[in-house]
Amino acid sequence: MTPFELAEPTSLKEAIKLLDPDDPTIRPVGGGTALMLMMKAGVFKPVKLISLRRIENSYSTIAATGDGLRIGAMTTLAALERSADVKKAAPLITRTLKTLSNIRVRNVATVGGALAHGDPHMDLPPVLMALGATLTVMGPKGERKLAVEDLFAGYYETVLDKDELIAEAHVPAHGTKKAAYMKVTTGSADDWPALGVAVVLEGDAGGIKSARIVASAATDKATRLKSAEAALIGGKVDDTLLAKVGDAAADEAEYIADVRGSISYKRELMRVYVRRAVRAALEGAK
Amino acid sequence: MSATKTISFTLNGAPVTADVKPHHNLVELLQGQFGLTGARETCGQGLCGCCTVIVDGLAVSGCLYLAAFLNDGAEVSTVEGLDTPAKLSPVQEAFVETAAFQCGYCTPGFILMVGQLLDEHPDPDDDQIKHYLTGNLCRCATYPQVMEAVRLAAKKRKAGAAA
Ligand SMILES: Cc1cc2nc3c(=O)[nH]c(=O)nc-3n(C[C@H](O)[C@H](O)[C@H](O)COP(=O)(O)OP(=O)(O)OC[C@H]3O[C@@H](n4cnc5c(N)ncnc54)[C@H](O)[C@@H]3O)c2cc1C
Ligand code: FES
Ligand code: FES
Repeated sequence: MTPFELAEPTSLKEAIKLLDPDDPTIRPVGGGTALMLMMKAGVFKPVKLISLRRIENSYSTIAATGDGLRIGAMTTLAALERSADVKKAAPLITRTLKTLSNIRVRNVATVGGALAHGDPHMDLPPVLMALGATLTVMGPKGERKLAVEDLFAGYYETVLDKDELIAEAHVPAHGTKKAAYMKVTTGSADDWPALGVAVVLEGDAGGIKSARIVASAATDKATRLKSAEAALIGGKVDDTLLAKVGDAAADEAEYIADVRGSISYKRELMRVYVRRAVRAALEGAK
Repeated sequence: MSATKTISFTLNGAPVTADVKPHHNLVELLQGQFGLTGARETCGQGLCGCCTVIVDGLAVSGCLYLAAFLNDGAEVSTVEGLDTPAKLSPVQEAFVETAAFQCGYCTPGFILMVGQLLDEHPDPDDDQIKHYLTGNLCRCATYPQVMEAVRLAAKKRKAGAAA
């Protein structure tokens, strides 16, 4: 890797001051697992990295709140995976982490990095979107709330300014909602997915009251499929209804072609897996 | 540009001090300043496990971990720290006895990950073994022998703890 400087501020505020809204060669680093890949490939040559690893410890902790979870952005994915609070309030997250990368990466990668990278293949963005999670984002002008749903602007792009940091994620508890996440790998089992589908539903097979369906990986960014959601609400959930939901999802999504599949292939995957994910949620995914 | 910083930490039980460049990863630090080659950069992408190092009790991919991330006082262990001149560790013994390698290139990483597994699950089932080792690749495909080695290592560790 080409040489760069590393700043290690001890507070989030200090870290924000060290960032520059106009200089893309200065970037924050959490676990560094995603940035290292880009730096090694020479795609990203930083002049300076601002490490978040020494900021206040509270940003590395998880707390159960009245209605869900507060997760510090520097929380590692391994801590998230092992948290009893997460398993209780949002078991979908715990299940998702089991197949997210490997233990060594999860030991180091952070929640903030998993979101801010804007990589459409990652698992947490669709899952947190389907759960209706929001973020606390901090910048020079103070803090703002941002729904994870509104975070992604495009392929590896977010709406964050270069001097803004994700500070916390807030995840509403599942409660009686039913949830599932499916990822479809077309290469080896642990390859990046060709498609991810996250589903969170209120109701049962007799009728769905509310639904959030999010697709990722096949699309340039994690995307809510609102017409599929609308098709699912109301009627009895049977094969006919599920076929309509699958078709709506397949028509609605905008696909990207890559080594994991062509556009037409991913469209068919979408049709099938949105159906399967809804079924899995209703049947209680393991 | 690229100021060096001095970090004092424990390496395989011994206190050490290193001058770390911001752009060096943990493998470069261990090989360049301490001559430890058990962790070797291979895929360089977090996939294969050949660069596994234990930092403060947690396995990390040394290829993706900036050396400067080490805190003063950190505890770093590599495969070189497992045995004494007189005796291999139970996991090492188990790998030898079940011939869980051919060329041996991947072995240090597997051995360290198995250590992590057994620390948390002294009596792992096959699913747990696979879950812990999904990030370790063996080009010689000794996976069946590795499964056997883990089961044997679990027995040896328990016998050792009982003795
Ligand atoms: C071998 C391997 C396999 C993987 N498999 C999977 C998988 O199956 N599923 C999956 O979802 N992911 C997978 N990943 C990706 C992994 O989840 C990401 O690399 C990780 O989540 C990034 O987190 P980090 O803390 O290391 O980010 P970093 O590399 O530190 O940062 C990533 C980006 O986020 C920015 N950033 C970091 N923290 C913040 C913050 N708090 N606020 C604002 N910006 C911030 C950085 O500037 C950078 O642009 C895999 C990675 C590897 C190496
Ligand atoms: S070299 Fe680090 S995981 Fe392969
Ligand atoms: S023994 Fe040769 S790579 Fe595993």
